[in-house]
Amino acid sequence: MEIQSMRELIDVCERKQKNIGEMMLLMETEKSGRDEETIIAMMEERLIKMKEAVDSGSKDASASPSGISGGDAVKMVDYMNQGKALSGNYISHAMSYSLATSEGNARMGVIVATPTAGAAGILPGVLFSLHKNDGTPFKELVMGLFTASMLGLIIANRSFISGAAGGCQAEVGSATAMAAGTIVELKGGTPQQAVTATAIAIKSLLGLVCDPVAGLVEVPCIKRNVIGTSIAFSAADMALAGIESRIPCDEVIEAMYRVGKEMPRTLRETSLGGLAMTETGKQVKERLFCRKS
Amino acid sequence: MEYQSCFDIIGPIMVGPSSSHTAGVVSIGKFIYELLGRCPQEANIVFYDSFAETYQGHGTDKALIGGLLGMSTDDPRIKSSLECAKEYGLRYQFGFAEGCEYYDHPNIVIVTAKSGDEVMKAGGVSLGGGLSKIFMINSEMVDIRLSAGDNFTALTRQNHPRRKRLMEAI
Repeated sequence: MEIQSMRELIDVCERKQKNIGEMMLLMETEKSGRDEETIIAMMEERLIKMKEAVDSGSKDASASPSGISGGDAVKMVDYMNQGKALSGNYISHAMSYSLATSEGNARMGVIVATPTAGAAGILPGVLFSLHKNDGTPFKELVMGLFTASMLGLIIANRSFISGAAGGCQAEVGSATAMAAGTIVELKGGTPQQAVTATAIAIKSLLGLVCDPVAGLVEVPCIKRNVIGTSIAFSAADMALAGIESRIPCDEVIEAMYRVGKEMPRTLRETSLGGLAMTETGKQVKERLFCRKS
Repeated sequence: MEYQSCFDIIGPIMVGPSSSHTAGVVSIGKFIYELLGRCPQEANIVFYDSFAETYQGHGTDKALIGGLLGMSTDDPRIKSSLECAKEYGLRYQFGFAEGCEYYDHPNIVIVTAKSGDEVMKAGGVSLGGGLSKIFMINSEMVDIRLSAGDNFTALTRQNHPRRKRLMEAI
């Protein structure tokens, strides 16, 4: 069984009366020859690693080796504990977990790529926020990872998921889209609604360039992961409210592909444009890599 | 369809900071290690395009050397692999170029590795999300998909007959 488009995904889910996560699990069993139990255990292992990254990152205020990131997760936790967060519990928890993961990634800590390391903060951010705020059990979060991977597989095969290939829209964009669809499914939405949330999320980040300062997955990557979680929740809320995407998800993905293809090389993770080429960005690069010149 | 499995999307479990510029590159290095059957004594490494511009920030150099030393994507020693290379007796040299004539992608590395009398040249591309591909071995174009999410012990076993076949072909 091959599912190549969001349209096909919705059709097959309706035909088989399964949700997206269950379809992914079925497809993986057929393709890999592994039994369901083994596959679920492998996914659980990934969820556990994600949790460990969130937990260690939430307490660690140390700077990254470059010195340009670190310490913000702890600040966010303190701020939330004072009850000041304006964006509510779901989003503010997701923000702090996402910060914790992405800061850990910059320290060369162990993380789980979802779908990439540069976008590794978004999915754990929303999943553990759901767990914290409405007690979504870990078992369901594991199923959520199957939902996310099905959405990600379709995006990856029809477009791209890395900043070097298609800009940040492809990286943080794909992760945010996967997270949005996953929230919808975990909150009982239909496959169609999950795909709608996916489309809305991609549309919101369409055209975003990949311009990391000094080539490091830190500035602006970490904060874009954080913002990705709030877009994921907003997109999910819209889809759950019954709002539709005027442009079908497959066409949105195709648009992302075309935009990425037209994006100049300087804005695709080469650090030759955007924020990387600001005065401050260039100074950071010079300070860190003066050996190179 | 380059991406096949849910673990191509969720995973690998890896040392940061980049799945394409760190994890995928560890796999390319590790494949060469498996193909040689041991860690090479000399390695000449050419990074292209995005790899050439950003390798320092992403630890792409540490990732490749870590892989050549036989490390996996989640091995914490990757952070200090350049120092490990001395202990393992691996001499390496990095070169940089803009576009690769053999394959069109921003994340390309070509490694010429020497171990005893064996010399091999391998081209690898990191596709994103920890997935990579060996597209060239010596002058032969190949298509060997590497997923860092795979069980590397199993991958090694699969590669042994392939290694023999590949080495005979060369």
